[in-house]
Amino acid sequence: MSAGDLFLQQVLNGLTLGFVYALIALGYTMVYGIIQLINFAHGEVFMVGAYAGLTVLLMIGGQGSAAGLVAALGAAAVVCLLLGLAIERVAYRPLRSAPKLSALISAIGVSFILQNAVMLVYGAQDRYVPAALPASGWKFGAVTVTPMQAVIFGVSIALMVGLQALVYGTRLGRNMRATAQDPLAARLMGISVERVIASTFAIGSALAGIGGVLFGTYYSTINFHDGYLTGLKAFTAAVLGGIGNVPGALLGGVLLGLLEGLAAGYLSAQWKNVVAFAVLVLVLLLRPRGLLGERVAERA
Amino acid sequence: MVRRAFLLFSCLWLFSGCGKSEPVIKIGFVAPLSGDQAAHGEDLRRGAELAIEQAQARGPIIPGFSVVLVPVDDARNPAQAVSGAKRLAADPHVLAVVGHLNSSCTKPASAIYHEARLLQISPVSSNPEISRQGFDTFYRICPTDDLQGPAAARFAIQRLGARRIFVLDDMTTYGRGLANEFVRAAKASGAEILGHEGITQGEKDFTPVLTKIKGLDPDLIYFAGMFPEAALLVQQKLKLGLRAKFLGGDGLFEQALITLATPAAAEGIYLTTLGGDIRQLPTAKLFIEAFEKKYGPLGAYSSYGYEATNLALEAIRRAGKKSRSAVLSAMREIKEYPGILGTHIFDSRGDTMIRTIGVYTVHDGQFQFVEASN
Repeated sequence: MSAGDLFLQQVLNGLTLGFVYALIALGYTMVYGIIQLINFAHGEVFMVGAYAGLTVLLMIGGQGSAAGLVAALGAAAVVCLLLGLAIERVAYRPLRSAPKLSALISAIGVSFILQNAVMLVYGAQDRYVPAALPASGWKFGAVTVTPMQAVIFGVSIALMVGLQALVYGTRLGRNMRATAQDPLAARLMGISVERVIASTFAIGSALAGIGGVLFGTYYSTINFHDGYLTGLKAFTAAVLGGIGNVPGALLGGVLLGLLEGLAAGYLSAQWKNVVAFAVLVLVLLLRPRGLLGERVAERA
Repeated sequence: MVRRAFLLFSCLWLFSGCGKSEPVIKIGFVAPLSGDQAAHGEDLRRGAELAIEQAQARGPIIPGFSVVLVPVDDARNPAQAVSGAKRLAADPHVLAVVGHLNSSCTKPASAIYHEARLLQISPVSSNPEISRQGFDTFYRICPTDDLQGPAAARFAIQRLGARRIFVLDDMTTYGRGLANEFVRAAKASGAEILGHEGITQGEKDFTPVLTKIKGLDPDLIYFAGMFPEAALLVQQKLKLGLRAKFLGGDGLFEQALITLATPAAAEGIYLTTLGGDIRQLPTAKLFIEAFEKKYGPLGAYSSYGYEATNLALEAIRRAGKKSRSAVLSAMREIKEYPGILGTHIFDSRGDTMIRTIGVYTVHDGQFQFVEASN
């Protein structure tokens, strides 16, 4: 392979991971945008989504198919949507008027509960996720794009466009933006703030669930603690892009994925996290609100 | 309120009921029983459990006492290993410890057992540094990586004809240590090391470093690490169309490697193992029969769990009383121990003189023995 082909392959590697980060980062950013809560259980919702997808793929049996993948994505989205609603109702809503720190602790508690629940149900070992799509892909020069990578790009972009349309084009989206700016004023205008918050959790969690299935089928093994590291990276992506900002999550995810990929490919695999996080620190020093952060409305 | 108090007390009473039985002697057992390497830990635990069960059936180890195995989970995390070790050290009923699995856990824990004058028998932690700390409480029944690394280098160069090699490790005590031994021996034999890099345990995406390796086009990739990462490496290597051969260490010797990687991706990889083919050892025949009757197919590390636990039981039996120092001096008196893996003679560091390194390959979804070297 020539140096140019290698570079393209590295960009492709980075983009694939980056889009998965972006899907999860959306959940962090949406919830933070609305109630300024860092939902640390979000990584675990992603992991539950991966297991929900695995369960569906195993029920269908054998080497999965495109239909199996669609079913797995749908099931994971529904399971995580309900899970997100339940977490919000049980762990966060009762603490709405409590200090911010209480909700943060509650989030960490939920994350432990989910990890251990999945460990008890599915066992502590890595699980193999059957490949849903053929491994042979389309060749562009010496670079190969696999069907699974194409699905990751397609699904992520479609979901993000859809989300943007929802936030800026629907009544729910308008209510979400109003709540983000000022929950009290929104309530005075007759918006059911609780319902808006619940919807935000539901949408963010469903996206994480879909991200979980894509992650699981792409890397083919999942474990009950996968939510931790990947969730942390996605959170980083959200901060990098400007937490609270939807396009920022996409930008942050793709940037983090590329940084990690290129650092591992051209510098050293063991230093890739150092490089990625050094860039994060640098960005935050120069732009404390993240790359696209200034669009977040300043609260009085 | 009264009802709550009543409930609480009845719970306490229920739990306290467990403690009132005959006097016990405990053998601690520590390994990752949860997390990605739980399959390895479970292999070990079953061997240890079988040893205790068989010993109990033969009669008391020390008259008046029953022996129980206390499994502790360290989740391959050194911090958790240390806290588990402290818990065992603080329990006066514990007379010996079998464990841990990972060298990065065994090493810090060994200092705690040494301070508590508690006999520790390490079944499979192969990092040579552990025994060089000079703890008289430490014994080990497997060969070390200053043997495994050079054996792997010899196999890579002489048998696989590798000239240009890229080395990866998982940056743990075990992985980095083994990789360094391999690199030293491979360079001495004239092979060219194109690079030596570390990957992080628990991560999933190794395509960037593999893409880089693809650009260098080596004959062989040597990986010193554990099976979960190895499974991802060989699978992503296949997807990227990397043709280099793949050789790993004993951390890959686990059936789960093949399941997680898929048999197609694992086909044709090589790995070195601590010890040769156990199925060729006449001394291990009865053990394998008993094990497979109880648990099904033999796990890669099960014989080591069994051997280490039997050795601990032997030391306790010879001590004849419930005392840690008596167990330690009894262990020192064991000059030759005929086990299922061969006759162990321990050197001044507590390392066994059984120094066989085996080589396996994967064919049709099964591990196949290739050769053994001394």
